[in-house]
Amino acid sequence: MSAALDRRAAELLPAGERLTAHDAAVFALRVKRDAAARTEPDFERLREQARAIKAHALDHLDVYLERFEARAQAAGARVHFAADAADLQRITLELLAAKSARRVVKSKSMLTEECRLNPHLERHGIEVVDTDLGERIVQLGGEPPSHIIMPAIHRTRADIGALFEREMGSAPGDTDPGRLTAAARRDLRARFLAADAAITGANFAVAESGTLVIVTNEGNADLGMALAPLHIACLGIEKVIPGVADLAVFLRLLARSATGQPISAYTSLVTGPRAGAELHVILVDNGRTRLLANQRHRSALACIRCGACLNTCPVYRRAGGHAYGWAVPGPIGAVLAPALTAGDELRSLPFASTLCGSCSAVCPVKIDLHDQLVAWRGSDSPRAPSARRAARWAARVLERPALYRLAGRVTRALWPLLERRFAANPANAWLAARELPEHPGASFRARFRRRARPEDTP
Amino acid sequence: MSTRDDLLARVRAAVIHAAPAPEPFEPAHRRSDFAAFAAQLAAAGGEGIGPLAGAALRECVADLCRRFAPAERVLASDAALLRLGTGPWQPIPSDSTPHALADVAVAILCGSMAVAENGAVGLDGREARPRALPVICERLVLLLETRRIVPDMHAALAQLPDGALAHHHFTFVAGPSKTADIEGELVLGAHGPRGLTVIGIDG
Amino acid sequence: MDVELFIPCYVDQLAPQVGLASATLLERLGCRVRFDPRQTCCGQPFVTTGARDEAARLARRHLRVFEGADAIVCPSASCVATVRHRYADLIGEADARGLAARTFELGEFIIRVLNRSDVGARFPHRVALLESCHGLRELELGWPSERVSRAPRPGVTESLLRAVDGLELCEIERRDECCGFGGAFSVEYPEISARIGGAKLAALSASGAEFVTGTDASCLLHLDGLRRRAGTGPRVLHLAEILASREAT
Repeated sequence: MSAALDRRAAELLPAGERLTAHDAAVFALRVKRDAAARTEPDFERLREQARAIKAHALDHLDVYLERFEARAQAAGARVHFAADAADLQRITLELLAAKSARRVVKSKSMLTEECRLNPHLERHGIEVVDTDLGERIVQLGGEPPSHIIMPAIHRTRADIGALFEREMGSAPGDTDPGRLTAAARRDLRARFLAADAAITGANFAVAESGTLVIVTNEGNADLGMALAPLHIACLGIEKVIPGVADLAVFLRLLARSATGQPISAYTSLVTGPRAGAELHVILVDNGRTRLLANQRHRSALACIRCGACLNTCPVYRRAGGHAYGWAVPGPIGAVLAPALTAGDELRSLPFASTLCGSCSAVCPVKIDLHDQLVAWRGSDSPRAPSARRAARWAARVLERPALYRLAGRVTRALWPLLERRFAANPANAWLAARELPEHPGASFRARFRRRARPEDTP
Repeated sequence: MSTRDDLLARVRAAVIHAAPAPEPFEPAHRRSDFAAFAAQLAAAGGEGIGPLAGAALRECVADLCRRFAPAERVLASDAALLRLGTGPWQPIPSDSTPHALADVAVAILCGSMAVAENGAVGLDGREARPRALPVICERLVLLLETRRIVPDMHAALAQLPDGALAHHHFTFVAGPSKTADIEGELVLGAHGPRGLTVIGIDG
Repeated sequence: MDVELFIPCYVDQLAPQVGLASATLLERLGCRVRFDPRQTCCGQPFVTTGARDEAARLARRHLRVFEGADAIVCPSASCVATVRHRYADLIGEADARGLAARTFELGEFIIRVLNRSDVGARFPHRVALLESCHGLRELELGWPSERVSRAPRPGVTESLLRAVDGLELCEIERRDECCGFGGAFSVEYPEISARIGGAKLAALSASGAEFVTGTDASCLLHLDGLRRRAGTGPRVLHLAEILASREAT
């Protein structure tokens, strides 16, 4: 039986036009990243600098977290700590209730996806409107985002046109992105103006100045922060960086790696609340301290959520984000899931990779992603008991050359049987899409011996 | 122990304080003239005009505004008014409500600085008041002294105006609001301005 | 010079011609080629399936088998990458480094140790190069497309192929995208493996190549399996087979 992700990919991103379009759309982002990297002479040095800054920041996270808290509070923000998803949900609800806030506008935050904040708020009668266009599309469609930068990348304009016609009163049959976006602009504008609270994420938290850095192309986070009397910013503790100078390095890498732009349209440095408004910052653990304590795997916390690893991953492109079954898909999702989630399926995500290494090669902060995938496989990711048994037996055979040669002869003798279709054929998974290699004949070692070279006789 | 103390204790237990901070980054040299900045701004969907000064400056801005909207719907900040004098624009009413702002067609503000590597203009929270104005208008016009253009983000963040981080926000704006969420096709004016014009000011 | 052949288990059993071509080629280049029959498997499939204990045992065994060999040459980039990058975790840094220093992929041995790029081969056909991931990104046998900030240089494998008389190297779209094999991945994630491989096969076909070659017979067997199911596409030949070829016109 093939892995869950494989089966979900077949179901959720069927082969054919949809698959081709998804693969092309996502790879286009990789191409844009390459073009941006090519035209920036500092690019490789920036990657190394970013890696070093993150390594230092994570290894001194206690210092920088406390410094951020102190400086943010001095600027008038309230800082809260959440141990896990339930904590985040509770604190957010309390903050909203304290202001009788019922209408919330929300900009993109992978952390709030990870902590399933929206459903929790909605269960308590809060109306949450995702304002990033891609997030709004998937929200109206009743599904999670499938990409961390382009949440609706799996949707065609026809899909979105039909959705908007139903939900936003756009003209029937209209699939023009410009007009659909305009319809969303009108609808969301009204919601921004009526919002009681704005919930955002944060790309970085600068310890030196107590500043949150919030990056968008649409300006939706800014509109929310500018109009609502209450701003709640949720971020993982690993987002804290030491100083303003460090921020330059990441800002020069983030948009280039994500979409190929030298910078996003809106990069807001937010220190303290707007006059007459409240700013609450919620710093979330949710398994991050456990990952931090794991020296071998800690590097994954350096992630700046640019999505470059998703864009270059052949598995992600041909499986789609939903197949991963978690808020964060792709290589970074597979490397975080064993640490931040529970359950065998998600913790097995490191096996959903060919280990091609392209992800590590594009990561702007040089996380050793593909090495991390191998390391998780060998340490903590669950393997089926049958797989463990198979490995034990296979190793025993391979430790004994005579047994290995016998196994080889038996396999070759049974080869014609393996080529046939029957239910219990161990080669079925291979045969689903491929022919077996042609019958091998004698092994290399047998043939080499027959070459009769004097120096070969044992 | 509170959640805060528990969390910080876990962090403290997890770290070793071994990884050193790297040396400051030294970027490659690059241009910081208005043309270089304007090229990047154009790539980001914005428009750079100038550098201009005096009457030419006022005429240019007036032309832009007349093209887009009647004077009642064009607002200019105090700093911008100082530069431009009178014209087809209004000062920002001190009692602006969000709903009134939603009707603004053009907002004219002064940028504090700009970044040549990426076409971004730094907008100080003390200038961008009310906070919503530069994001809610249909078109944004930013006046920028060309001597305030720096080569890259390292220079920009090292030379933030005094108090930039103490007045709620400082935003780098690079082009109009945009999205490509529908099949990767670029659309300008997602939620914010559909157009951004930066007018360089000499001297 | 004396060379110990390191023949991966799957080459031994499923693609023996690759091992024979490697031996012939090295002898032609003046090496005295030996094959120690005690060898079986370097442990790579156990590393990638997370069977760490078994992988460590096989790695230790591999080290013992090849003790004393000065030049260990292997026609499989992924196996060499396992020794070079995964063994430290299994048998310790010192032992791993010592073994890695003596272990070479076939093409890199010819170019970097024997200092030859023209091996006297003749293969007058249109050939596409499958730059397999381990060889490209872990052994640096070529220039990965992700590394864009400097001008690319032709790698080891490409240089050897360009020196083959009559061989025309074809360009392929997304030249270093994975072929989708990935070891156990090919049977644990068969749908996705087939999708990735199918796309690769289409790109290879579109290039007009008659043959596809590379440093890893595993990738080639996966592509060949797809080709034979599809009924169309370039035939596979391992790098060793092409370099050992003296095909007349």
